[in-house]
Amino acid sequence: MGRLILIVAVLAAAVPAAAESTDGWREITSPPELVFPRDHGAHPDTRSEWWYVTGIVADDPGRRFGFQITFFRQGLAAGPPAPGESALRARQVAAAHLAVADIDGARFLHAERLRRSGGGLAGWSEADLDVWLDDWTMQRDPGGVISIRARDAEVGIGLSLELRPEKPLVRQGDAGYSRKGPVAGNASAYLSWTRIAVAGTLEIDGRSRPVDGGAWLDHEWGTSQLGAGVVGWDWFSLRLDDGRDLMVYRLRRDDGSADPFSSGTIVAADGTPTRLERDDVEIEPLEWWTSPSTGARYPTRWRLLVPAHSIDLEIRALLPAAELDGRATTGVVYWEGPVEATGSTRAEGYVELTGYAGSLEGRF
Amino acid sequence: MILKALLLRPLLRRPWRFLVTVVGVATGVAAVISTIAASRAAIASFAEGIEEVAGAARLEIASPGGLPETLLAELRPVSGDALVVPVVEETVLLLELGDGVRLLGVDLLLDAEVRPVLSGDRELPDLDATLLGFGALVSRRLAEDLDIAAGDALSVSIGGRPRSVEVAAVFEADGLSAVWERVLIMDVAAAQELLGRVGRLDRIELVPRGSVDLDELRVRTDALLPDGLAASPPGERRRFAEQMLASLRFNLVALSAISLLVAGVLIATTLATSVVQRLFVVSLLRSLGASRARVASVVLLEALGIGIVGGVLGVAGGFVGARLALASVRFTVASVVRGIPASEIRFDPQLAALGLAIAVVTALAAAVLPLMEIMSVPPLQGLRTAPPQRMRTRSRLATVAVLLAMAAAAAALARMPAIDDLPIPALTAALVAMAALLVGSGLLLDTLARLGHAPFARLRGAALQLAAAALSAGRRRAAWAAGSVAVAVALAVAIATMVSSFRATVEGWTTSGMRADLWVRPLAAGTGVWVGRLDPEIVTIAEELFGPETADPFYSQTVAYQGRPVSFAGAAFDVVRFHGSVPFPGRDSAEVFDRAWRERAAVVNEPFATRFGIGEGDTVRFELPGGVLEREVVGVFRDYSRSHGLVVVDRSDFLRFFPDAGPDDMALFLPPESDAGVARERLLEAVRGRFLVEALDNRELRAAVLGAFERTFSITTALYLVTAVVAVVAVLTVLLTLVGERRRELATVRAVGGSRGQVLAMVVSEAGLLGLAAAAAGTVVGIAVGVILVKVVNLQSFGWSLELVLPWSSLVTMAVWVVATCLVAGLPPALVAARMQPAAVLREEG
Repeated sequence: MGRLILIVAVLAAAVPAAAESTDGWREITSPPELVFPRDHGAHPDTRSEWWYVTGIVADDPGRRFGFQITFFRQGLAAGPPAPGESALRARQVAAAHLAVADIDGARFLHAERLRRSGGGLAGWSEADLDVWLDDWTMQRDPGGVISIRARDAEVGIGLSLELRPEKPLVRQGDAGYSRKGPVAGNASAYLSWTRIAVAGTLEIDGRSRPVDGGAWLDHEWGTSQLGAGVVGWDWFSLRLDDGRDLMVYRLRRDDGSADPFSSGTIVAADGTPTRLERDDVEIEPLEWWTSPSTGARYPTRWRLLVPAHSIDLEIRALLPAAELDGRATTGVVYWEGPVEATGSTRAEGYVELTGYAGSLEGRF
Repeated sequence: MILKALLLRPLLRRPWRFLVTVVGVATGVAAVISTIAASRAAIASFAEGIEEVAGAARLEIASPGGLPETLLAELRPVSGDALVVPVVEETVLLLELGDGVRLLGVDLLLDAEVRPVLSGDRELPDLDATLLGFGALVSRRLAEDLDIAAGDALSVSIGGRPRSVEVAAVFEADGLSAVWERVLIMDVAAAQELLGRVGRLDRIELVPRGSVDLDELRVRTDALLPDGLAASPPGERRRFAEQMLASLRFNLVALSAISLLVAGVLIATTLATSVVQRLFVVSLLRSLGASRARVASVVLLEALGIGIVGGVLGVAGGFVGARLALASVRFTVASVVRGIPASEIRFDPQLAALGLAIAVVTALAAAVLPLMEIMSVPPLQGLRTAPPQRMRTRSRLATVAVLLAMAAAAAALARMPAIDDLPIPALTAALVAMAALLVGSGLLLDTLARLGHAPFARLRGAALQLAAAALSAGRRRAAWAAGSVAVAVALAVAIATMVSSFRATVEGWTTSGMRADLWVRPLAAGTGVWVGRLDPEIVTIAEELFGPETADPFYSQTVAYQGRPVSFAGAAFDVVRFHGSVPFPGRDSAEVFDRAWRERAAVVNEPFATRFGIGEGDTVRFELPGGVLEREVVGVFRDYSRSHGLVVVDRSDFLRFFPDAGPDDMALFLPPESDAGVARERLLEAVRGRFLVEALDNRELRAAVLGAFERTFSITTALYLVTAVVAVVAVLTVLLTLVGERRRELATVRAVGGSRGQVLAMVVSEAGLLGLAAAAAGTVVGIAVGVILVKVVNLQSFGWSLELVLPWSSLVTMAVWVVATCLVAGLPPALVAARMQPAAVLREEG
C-alpha cells in the first residue's frame, strides 16, 4: 500500500483544490479489471501512481545494504491538453527517489529527481512497466525481468539491478482493490511482487560492487486514498525464512489508534495471498529513535503478532537513522529503512513510517 | 605661518578662486565618472546579465531562431551527468511599467537547482497558477515599484499582442544582480504559450551534477546534437554580445578618455594659475628662510585639498550625470543587442574611488609643474618682476621642427589601419594633434607679440602693443593658459564637427532611404528597448487591407558570420524592388533590389562590407540552422544602425531557415493617391483590441530616426557643452592670474602717465588677444581632429562613412564666445588694475 508519495504531498499541498476534489480523475471504486502486461504500465487517468522497490542485498564479503528506488507519477491537471497548449505543460510530473542504507557502515544516503512528463526527459509507458526520469529507469522485459538503473553522481550512490520475481504477482486487498477510507473512492489498485531475486551492482562512495539479495516491488495507483482523521501510517513488508511474505499497514489516527481500514496480506510460500484485517494484527513499538535534525521520534523496534497465522516477531531496524529529510526539496519527512526480525521465524524486509514529523492529513 | 600665508590668507581673500578651481576639478571628474558609470551600467550589466541569468548552467545549446523542444529528449543520455533545463526568454513590454522587462521561462519544478533567485527559504508559489496558468514571479523591487502583490494581474505586450499575467509570488532579490529586478519568471510552458513559441525553446541549459568533467560532458553532448548545434558555455553568448557591443564600448571609453583629458586640462590650468598667482608670496617666504620642501608641501597640500573636495563633488555629480547619460547609452545598447540593459545606475564604490583618485592625482600632477617653476626661482629673484622674455630664434626653430614632426606623426597615424577593429592609431593621431597645441602655444604667443611690435601695429594703439608685450613677458605662463584653452576649444570643435557630420549624413540617409508611407512596430518600440517582434498576423492584416504588394516586413536574427555576430535579415524584395529602400551610393535603390529579387541575391550594409572585406560580386555563405545559404552580394548600402554588420536576403530565403516568429517591424508602401493618415486609421482600427502597435508616417519615422540619433549622441553633445564650459573657465582663471601677477607693471604704466582707460584697454586687449590666439589655434586643430574622427575613427570602429560637414555656425559661435568670454573675463581684473593707486602698488611691490 501506502507508500510515501513525496511529490504528491508537496504538490497536493501546493494545489489544495486538486487534493480535495477528484475532478476529471478516475477513482478506484471496485476491484480493477487487470490485463497484463498493460497494467504493469502507467494509468495516467488516475491522479497518482508509484512503482516502489525495496530490498536487502549483500556483496561478496557479505557486507549488507538496503536499497529503495521509487518512481512516482502525479497528475496535476486531468484530461487532454487544451488546443494550442504547450506539450511542456506540467499536467503530470514524475518524481523518483533513490536511497542506499549502508547497514554495516551505519550510513544512509539518498537522492531525488523531479521532472514534468512533457518533453521526453521523464515519462512512462501504458503498455508495460517502463518508467524513466532523466537517466533513471525501471523497465520490465517480455520475459518478466525488471531492470533498474539509477545513479546519482553527487551523492555517490547508484543501482544497476536485475529483478526476477520468484512468486506470482499478488493482488492486494480485494482482488487488487485496496480500500483505505470510508468512501468507496478512498482506495487504490495495489499489486505486489513480494519476493524477488536481485542481482547486479550497487554503487556507494562512487565505487560499484556486485551484489545479490531479495527485494519487494509494489505498484499502486489511484485518485484519492486516505480518509479523514488519518495522520500517517506504518508499513511493514517482510520476507519470512519459512517462505511466507507478510505485508501490514497500520493507518494511524490522530488519537494514536489504528484506523479500521488498516489492513495486510500474508502470502504463502506457493504465492497464495490471505487478507488480514486490522484486528488480525497486533503491533507494539518497543524502542524509539529521535531524529537529531527534525526532532521526530520514530519507533525502531516492534513486536508484531499475527496469532491466526502463528506469527510472533520482534522486528528491529537495521539502521535507525533512516530518515529522509526532504524539507528543502519536497517538504516531506519520513522514515524508510531495512529491518530484520526474529521470533517465530527469521525475516527481513523494509518498514516505512510517515506522519511522525507532522501530520499528513489532507495531503493524500 | 607658511600655511597661513600660502593657503589660508589667499583662500579667505579670494574664496572664488578656490571655488573655481574646485568646480573645475569636479566638472572634469564628473564627466569621466558619468561616462564610465553609464557605459558600465548599460553595457557591462548587459553582458554580465547573460551569465547571471544562466545561474549554475555551465553549458548551453542555443541557435538563432531557437530550438525544437524535441531536442530535450535527445539529451537524455547526458541527463545523469547534468540537469537538462529548457529555457525560453524574450523581452516584453510591461504596460504598467511602461518599459521592457525580461520574460524568463524556466522549468519551475527544477529551477531552484539552477538559479539562486529561485532557491532558499522561499514560499512555494501557487503552482496551480505557475504550472497550469500564467503566473509569474516578480522581484520585491518591481512589486514595490508597481505597488502589486501576489494575485494581482499584470499586462504585457508581446509582439504587439496584449496578454495578462498573474503575479504568483514575489521573490527577494536582495544581494542579487540588478538583472533580477526587471524580470518576470514564468514556467517554461506558460512562457512558450504566451510568446507564441509552443514547441520551441530559446536554449537548453546543462547544469553539471557533482564533479562532472565539463569537457567530457561537452563532447558527449555535442555527439547527441544535430549538425550545426553545439554546447558552449554561457560565457560564449556573453562574448558574442560583447563583440557586438565592442565598438560601442570603445566609443564610450574614448569619450571617457576625452572627458579625462578635458578634466586634466581644466585641473592643470586652474591649479597652475592658482599656484603661480602666489609666486610673490612664495618667493618672500623663501627669502625669509622657508625651505623648499616646506613650501612645496604646503602647495601640494592645497592641491590635495582641491583634489579631494573637487573629487568628491565630481563623483557625486558624475553619478547624477550618469543617470542622465544612461538613457542614451541604454538606447544605443538596445539598438545593437536584444535585451534589457540596466535601467538605473547603482553607486559603485570602486568607480567612486577611481574618480577621487583621478582628481587627486591630476591635481597633484598639475601642481608639480608650476611648483617646479616656483622652486627654480631663487628667493630674491621671485620678488622682482620678470623681464620680457623673447623666444630665441634657435628655440623658435626647434619648436617649429617639433610641431612639424608632430603633424607628420599625426598624419601617418591617421592613415594606419585599425587594430582589432579599434581605431587606436587614429585616436592617437588626435591626441598628438592636441598635444601640438600645448607645444606650439608659446610660439604662437611669441609670434603675436612680434606682430604687436611690427611697424604697422602702431595703428592699433599703445594699449594693444603693451598687451602683446605683456603676454610675451609672461609667456611661459600665458602659453600654458593659451595651450589649455586651445585644447579645450579643439576638443569642442572636434566633437561639434563629428556630431554635425553625423547628423547631416543621417538626415540625408533618412531622406533618400526611408521611402515607405507607413512604418509599423510594436508599441513602445520607440522607448529604445527591444520589446519583441510584430505578431505575424499583423502582416496578414496589412496585406489584406492594402494589398500584398504594399507590405515590406523586416525579419532579423543574429547569426555568426566567420565566427562573428552579424544581423541576418529578410525583407520583401518583391515589394521594395518597386519602391526602393535603403540607399546605395550612386545607384538606384529600386534597381538594386529588383536585381536582388531576380537573381535571388543579397545586399549588405556598409559596416558588413568594411568589416569582412565584401563587395559587389562577392558571395556570402551562412551556416544557418537547417542548412547553408550562399548568396551573391549585388549591393552595399549605407546604414547607420547595425555597425556589427547586416546582410539582407529576400524574406522567402529568411523564412526557409527561421520559423516565422514575426517581423521586427514592417514598412508599408501605400498605393498612389492614398492618404497615409487614413490608411493608418484603417490599420489601427483593424488591429484594435487585439494588438498594441504604433504606426508612423514618413515624416514621423524620419523624426523618430533622428530622435534616436539625438539620443545616441546625447552624451557626446553633453560632452561638447562641458568642453565649451571648460574652455571658458580656463580662460577666466588664466586671465585673472596673469593680471594679478602684473600689478606692478600696470601701476608703472599708470605712473608714467597711462590713463585709467588705457590700462583698462590694455588688460582687456590682452585677454582678447589670448582668447583669439587660443580660439584660432584650437579651431584649426579641432577641425583636423574632427576630420580624423569623422573620416577615420567612425569608419574604423563602426564601418560608417560620413559626409564631412563642418558646423560653421557652431565654430563661429564658439570662437565668438571664447573671445567674448576672454574680454569679459578681462574686465574685472582690468577694472581692478585701472582703479589701483599706482604709488601704493609700487611701494608695496618694491
